[in-house]
Formats: sequence, structure tokens, C-alpha cells
Amino acid sequence: MQKKFTLLFILFICLIIIPTLAQNTATISGRVHAANDNQSLIGATVSVPALGIGTVTDVDGHYTLQLPFGSHTLQATYVGYEPYTTYIEVTGGDALVYNLMLQVGSSQLQEVVIEANTLEQKLNDTRMGVERLSTKEAKLLPALFGEVDLVKTLQLKPGVQSGGEGASGLYVRGGGPDQNLVMVDDAVVYNPSHLLGFFSVFNPDAVRSVELYKGGFPAQYGGRLSSVLEVDMNEGNNESLAASGGLGLISSRLTFDGPIQEGKASFLISARRTYFDVITKQINKLNEGKEDYNQIPDYRFYDLNTKLNYKLGEKDELFLTGYFGRDSFGFDQSGFSFGLDWGNTIGSLQWKHKFDNKLFFSTSLTSTSYKHSISNSVGDLSYSLTSKIQDITLKTDFDLLLDGGHSIQFGALATRHAFTIGQFNFDVGDKSIEDMSYSTGKNYEAAEFGAYVSDNFEVNPLLSLSYGLRFSGFSSRGKTYTALEPRAAAKYSLSESLSLKASYASMMQYIHLVSSSGASLPTDIWYPSTPYVKPQRSQQVALGVSKLLWNGSFLLTNEAYYKWMNRQIDFRDGANLFVNNNLENDFLFGKGESYGNEIYLEKIKGRTTGWLGYTLSWAYRQFDEINNGRRFPTRYDRRHDISLVVLHQISKRISLTGAFVYGTGNAYSLPVARIIVQDVEGREAAVVPVYNDRNSFRLPAYHRLDLGIVLKLKPKHGEADLTFNVYNAYNRRNAYFVYFERVTDEHDRTETFEAKQVSLFPIIPSVTYNFKFR
Amino acid sequence: MKIKILLYFLTFFFLSSCSIDDTIEMGLPPHDPQLVLECYLEDGKPMRATVLESSNYFDAPTPPLVPDAQVTIAHNGRKLDLTYNPTTEGSPTKLYTHAADEDVQFKAGDFYTIEVTDGRGRKVTGNAKVLPTVPIRSIKWHFDGAGKAMVSATLQDKANTANYYRFMIHRDNIDSGSDVNLVASDELRDGKVITFGTSYTYERGDTLIVSLYHIDKQHYDFFQSVANAKEANGNPFAEPTKILSSVNGGFGIFTTLVVDRKKIVIE
Repeated sequence: MQKKFTLLFILFICLIIIPTLAQNTATISGRVHAANDNQSLIGATVSVPALGIGTVTDVDGHYTLQLPFGSHTLQATYVGYEPYTTYIEVTGGDALVYNLMLQVGSSQLQEVVIEANTLEQKLNDTRMGVERLSTKEAKLLPALFGEVDLVKTLQLKPGVQSGGEGASGLYVRGGGPDQNLVMVDDAVVYNPSHLLGFFSVFNPDAVRSVELYKGGFPAQYGGRLSSVLEVDMNEGNNESLAASGGLGLISSRLTFDGPIQEGKASFLISARRTYFDVITKQINKLNEGKEDYNQIPDYRFYDLNTKLNYKLGEKDELFLTGYFGRDSFGFDQSGFSFGLDWGNTIGSLQWKHKFDNKLFFSTSLTSTSYKHSISNSVGDLSYSLTSKIQDITLKTDFDLLLDGGHSIQFGALATRHAFTIGQFNFDVGDKSIEDMSYSTGKNYEAAEFGAYVSDNFEVNPLLSLSYGLRFSGFSSRGKTYTALEPRAAAKYSLSESLSLKASYASMMQYIHLVSSSGASLPTDIWYPSTPYVKPQRSQQVALGVSKLLWNGSFLLTNEAYYKWMNRQIDFRDGANLFVNNNLENDFLFGKGESYGNEIYLEKIKGRTTGWLGYTLSWAYRQFDEINNGRRFPTRYDRRHDISLVVLHQISKRISLTGAFVYGTGNAYSLPVARIIVQDVEGREAAVVPVYNDRNSFRLPAYHRLDLGIVLKLKPKHGEADLTFNVYNAYNRRNAYFVYFERVTDEHDRTETFEAKQVSLFPIIPSVTYNFKFR
Repeated sequence: MKIKILLYFLTFFFLSSCSIDDTIEMGLPPHDPQLVLECYLEDGKPMRATVLESSNYFDAPTPPLVPDAQVTIAHNGRKLDLTYNPTTEGSPTKLYTHAADEDVQFKAGDFYTIEVTDGRGRKVTGNAKVLPTVPIRSIKWHFDGAGKAMVSATLQDKANTANYYRFMIHRDNIDSGSDVNLVASDELRDGKVITFGTSYTYERGDTLIVSLYHIDKQHYDFFQSVANAKEANGNPFAEPTKILSSVNGGFGIFTTLVVDRKKIVIE
């Protein structure tokens, strides 16, 4: 059945591509960039309004258009910049190149923008389920502790949920946090969070924008089931040296960027560090020697982003990207020491080449690794536990523009994975103690590969199609899996303000996160597909309708989706996931499904902007060995999810922002009964909770209002602002978790039992100072 | 252990400064009580069992006795009924609801079965095999710079069979409550010497009773699942675990206890 479908799909692609030749059109292309710093403008709209033809620049600021022969008025727009209009003549012969340079907008009011795409472009975009967010936008919105976080801001979009209070994990359309493909300049990020998920690893000063695909995935992406998050890093300023940064409640940031060789090469280096440990060390020092004083553990996280870009010529450009981030937690007192460190290390070298105006090429060599390490020692006894994944990937992508409205993408990638799983070493310093030292753990290697071809076909001004096929494979421990992953999307404009959309995507995931809980922890382990552990697969269909309202100032989008997933992984009750040489024996395999409807109303221009999102959704898993084979809701199954974001520009210097979220409480497991276990002689009797069906309870509904004021200052040195935030403005006590407690009298006799709710963050005001020196 | 430390980490950072505990009303679905059996047969000791039933979590904390429960233990084709007579003894206090006058006489390889029934038609069954005693091969202790001692005990595991062990240390006598209570399987040390160790907590002059139980997989699973279930209540990162009982038809454990026990004085 699947083969038949694939053959039909290939036939369909051929039928569409073949009749594309010999029409009286020509290709124009070019790059849209900012006049002030020469940075490429991603998502800028380039159009010929008289023909109703337009496109959006890609991640390199490039655009291409197919235009009929004749004279046209070409227009480029980008929020925050003055529109640019030019007159062009399109004739036969060579393809035409028009690079378009936009001036920064003269009105500061234009900086209050929601997204870098226009509503018209979103209306006419064939892609579905795509959310783009710029740092500029995220910096305006209120944030926990004032720490701007693009990933958390994405959680305010429909279909995207957080794992819990303050967490930066993404749960997209019923998928888990391990089912997101997170990429920085083509390199995969395996753990995109700091501090147990409370902050993402993306320093806002180093990131220009993020783009999240919730469905309708283009064929160039593969390897995860539920979403693709592409993080676009800032490039160094080409014009002049600049320093910028911010002083916050929890961390500080500092960024330098500027030209190395004017017009040819620039650099960016950006660092961020928390300072809890600086404070706690001082507190510990002040209390040193006090008998009953328990040391406060040290914790810090830091990250360093670098980017270097170098223009080799008119047609070639090199990009070198680096990321290094670590979380470090430590404790050392009275001969007992404990350390937990984790972090990503990423390197990416990209070469972009333009053969001519119709063929573009990008190739990258990336290296990424994620490692966590636990160490503990008591006197002479010590143990360490390390898990790691390390990849080297070679990836090549081609963009080919054909006449007749076709834009063909094709490419391939190959990845070598190296896994270190549960490397446990127990050691005794004093060798007179008999035979206690031992080691466990496994090392695996695997190869993953993929190749794809896709076509974005503008059939006519009303109908556009995007379709493709990805061939993927994975080889590990003598077993090779291969799969075909068809993708398709279509948009049909019923009128200038109304379009219908549909998409289908099949995705494979060959590596799996071994997690001891529904939450995402830094100690989770990546595990390859093996002869016993088959790859996960998902398929998703989505239908949507978009409508421009009120003279195009609002866009209303409705998307309904259904996703079904096979070979989902869970674990046997009580499985030991850490010191276990036969880990996969504890795996359970099942299936999942999620479905829902997302409504999104947005406004991106004017003094008041923002969006309102509502998601109605269901997310389930089903395993033979869990819940007696009955399906159960995932922890992040949330029936109703509402987010309202409003930004209002009071004056050129003052902006007010507010965000309100409401969500059905997370599904949760609670004991339904208790038993008493006395145990063997010498043991105290204990109350033991009895759990029944998984996630059969609901925490109370979650809601929260955050408020913010951004005050732009006018320093002599350049730019600065003060951002005041109030997180949880009406001090709602949202449940983080619930537990049952035994209430005792003064003789430790049980009096009664009661339920307790733990809430994390009360009202939290914060202030951040951001600056930029030119 | 690791999860606990992570939770401590989280607790340190956020909960200590920001978190709030509130008592809330929580409605639980009706619970149909099930029989809970605990019966540890020990060589030379009388057959005793505790039969209770499970309770709704918010029921009154009185032991839910089952007076009409009938307990029968069978061994070598002979059935012995245990009499209902709730008694308490020892410290920490143990409640026994059923007992027989007869002492247990172990022989390695012997097989025991148990059946519990009550007036509501509930029935719990289980079986247990007498495992060979595994002797403690050596006990050593070692002082750190601060004069505190850690204790290690070793055993020789038998190769090519799945073995499970429980290791306990009590101070002064076994009624005092255990300092150390660990279980382990031989999965990573099959056929080799297995060592249990403590942290540096003991001082010169301490009298310790070191116990090594050779337990079966049912005992091991019950022990681990009980520990996991307790941890899941209050740990937002833990996935709740069902209790893996060694008996059918209810909750609990029926097992034999074979133990090698040694008394040492730290010097």
C-alpha cells in the first residue's frame, strides 16, 4: 500500500514538473539587505503588486520571481524599514539580478512589530503550521526574570505548549520534546535548554530569528517527528564595530560584532553567564565554619556564540559558526562532593555558492555533541556517570529555479553518530578495600543519511503547490532501516483575502531519547535505532483556511490537524535507565495520536499589535504494557490553550506589553489508594501509594498574566533601553505538581492525609538594562 | 538517587525562594479495597502473616484489618491454617494478624504456597522457594581522615544464575532500625565478588549487625517498586510506578528470608 502510494506520488511529481517549459516568463532574483549594516533581511516581501505576484526572501535574504516579459514595478518591504520600489524591464535572454537595499524606517513606531512577515505573505504562503519569530519581537515581550527567550515566546503560539511552569521545552501538536529537530546554522542542538529547561540555550543577542514548523514539513527536513525549529544566528555588522549587552536579574550578556575586512568579512562573538554561583559562594564563605550550616550548591550556566562570515567573491560566501554552552552544578562539603555538568558543543562551516541566477548551492560540515556527566565522591569512594552523543554531518542543498513557476530543491546529508550510553565507573581510591571498582556502559556508532527532492510550484496566481520526497536511512549494529517520506502542501486563493491550505507530511525518527519521566531532563540519554529498537514514524495531515480581515490589518487563520505516530517508546515500570547494560530490554513500544484545531488572529502593523491564539487539542499514547493496553493522555495533553499577546506603542520611547495565557491543567498521575508495607524486621512501616491509570488526573487550570514596559533611552554612545517586567502579575498560584502528605502529631503518629499543591513562581518583577555601543 | 539530587537542585534554586505549598481539596475516585498480604517466612520462626486491605488515600489512618481473612500455607503437600489473632511486637512495631504455632524449618529448594481468602470472595495466592544461603565472605571497615568509618561486605556470586541480594546494617540490634538497606542484582557482576559499601558514617566502638539476604526476583521487584512508588509521590520528574507484588489477586509479598548475619564492632 505504501509503495503504491509512493509510486503515485513520484508520478505526480513528474507530471507536474514536465509541463513547465517554454512559457514567456523570465526569472529575476537578488538579495534584500539592510542599508545600515548590510545584513540580509530574511522574510522580506518582494512583489509586483500590479500582477499580484510576490515572494519572500530566504534565510540568506535571497529572492526569486518568475515574471512575464514586460515592464513591472518591483517592490520590497520589510517591517521596520522603508519600502523600496523600482521599475524593471523583463525580457528574454539572461536571468536578471536586482539587489534591493532597504533603509531603516524613519518612524520608531514601526519597530513595534509582531513578525517579520507581512500578513499578505502569510496568507499566500503555501506552507502551513509555520511560526516565525524575531528577537526584536521577543525582546519586547515580558519574560520570566527578564530573561528574553525566543523559545518560550514560541510557546505563546497555537499548537505549541510548554512542559510546565517556566519551562522552555516545546511540545508541538502532541509531540514530545525529543521529537523536535532544533538546528543552528545546519547543526543539530540536542538539548536546547539550560537549568532543567527553565531557559533555552539561545542567547537573544546572538540570534536573529527562529522559525518553527509544526507540520507540512518541507522535504529538506527529517529526523524528528513533530517539529523543526530553525535558529538563525545574527551575522556580524559589516559596517562598524559595535558592542551590545544586557544586565539582568539572573544573567548578563555581552556581544561584540563588526567588520574584519570591510564589505568582505565580519565577526560576531556573544557570551552570556549567570551569576547565582557568585552570590552563593559569598554566602557560603560568610557562613564557613558554622556547624549547622549547610552549604548552598554552586550553579551556573554560560554560553558562547561565535559567527564569522567571509565573502570569497560575488558568488561565494563562507560562514563559520560556533556554540559552546555548559550548565554546571556542584556541591562540596565535609568530604562529600557532587557534580552535574551538561552542555552542547556545536561547530558549523557553511559554503554558499551561486552558480548563476537560477542555481544556488549550499553545503555544510557540522559537528555537534551533547554530553552530561555526573560525578560523586565520598572519601575514597567515587563514581561517575556519563552519556554523550556526537555527530559529524555533511549536508548539501541545491536550489534550482525553473521557468513556469517552479523552484526545485534537492540535496542530501550523511551523519555519523557516536553514542556513549550510561558510562558508569565506580572506583575506590584505597585498593585495600576489596574488589569494589567496576564499570558499565555501551558505545555505539551509527550512520544516518537522507536525500530529497521537492518542488515549489506556482501553478497560477491562485494555486500553488509544494511537494517532495525524502529518502532516509539509518544503519546501526548491522541493521539498516530505510524509508520514503512523502511531503505535500497546497494553497488555493479563493479571493484576494481568503485562501485554503492543506498539507501532508510523513516523518521518521531514528534516534530516541531515553527519559525517566515525561519531563525533559539533562540526564536523558539519546539511543540509536537498533535491530530491536525500530525507528519512530509519524504522519500528519492538516487543513487550513486564512482570511484577511478589516482591510488587511488582521489575519485570521484556522488549522486543523491529525497526527498518528508509530513505534513510540516508553519504559517498563521501575526500569533502571542509567546503569543498565541491556537498556533496550526495558523499552516498550506503542503508538500515539494527536489531533486538534488551532485558531490564530494576528495584527502586525499599527501602534497596537499582537495576537490571540486558541488551540483545542488531544494527545494520546497507547502501549500494551501500560494501563492494561488502554490509551492514556500524555502529560502535555491540553484540551484548551489560549494565549493573548498585546503590544502597544505609547510613544516613540515607551512600549507597553502584556501576555495572558490560559490552559487546561496538565494530565497527571496521582495515587488512588494506599497500602501499608511493614517490610522485614528492623524496618519502619511505610505508607505506599497505589497508582492506577497513567495521567488520569488533571492539575487545576493554568493561567497567568505578564506585563512589561520597554523604555528606550537616548544615551550618547548609541542605544539603550530599560525593560521592566512583571511575571504572573496577579500572583496566580499555578500548580507545578501535587502530592499527598501524611500529617503527623508530635509523636510522629499519623493523624490524617492531605493533598498539597506546589506552585513555583509567584509574582516576579524584574528589570533589565540593554545597551548598544556604536 | 540521581533524580533526587536533581530535585534537590531544582528545590535549591527555585522552590526554596519561590515555591509555595498549599493544601488543596482533591477528590479521588471510589476505591475498591484489595487484600494486602505480607508474609516473610524465616527459618526457626513461627509462620506469621499480616493481612490488611488497601484504603482510599484519605481514609482514616487506622490499620484496615480483615478479620474474616483465612490464611493457609502449604508445604510438601501439607496445609497449615494460620489463626487470626492480631498482635504487635518488636521495635519498630510489627503487626501480625495471622499466625501458627509451628516454626518454619527451611531446607534449600523447598517450596511454599499461600492462599488468603475472605468473606467478600477475595483471594490472594503466592508461592516462594527457599534459596540457599549466601554467606558474607568478608567485612571490612576503613577510616577517613575525620575518623569516620565506611563498612564494606563482600559475597561470592554464583555464576550463570540470576541472583538478587538485600544488604542491611543495624546498629546494636536488629530492632534498632536499619542504617543501610540496599538491594542489588548480579546482572553486572555475574559470578564475581559483589561488594556492598556504606558511606563514612560509623565511629570507633559502634556495634553493627550486618545482614545479607539472598532474595528472589519477586522480592527484589517488590522492594524496588515500593521504593519507586513512594518516590513518585512528591517528585514531579518521576514517572509513577505500580507496585509489583509477588502475589496474585491483591497487593503484597510472600517470600522466604534466608540470611547470613554477622555482628562486628568498629575498632
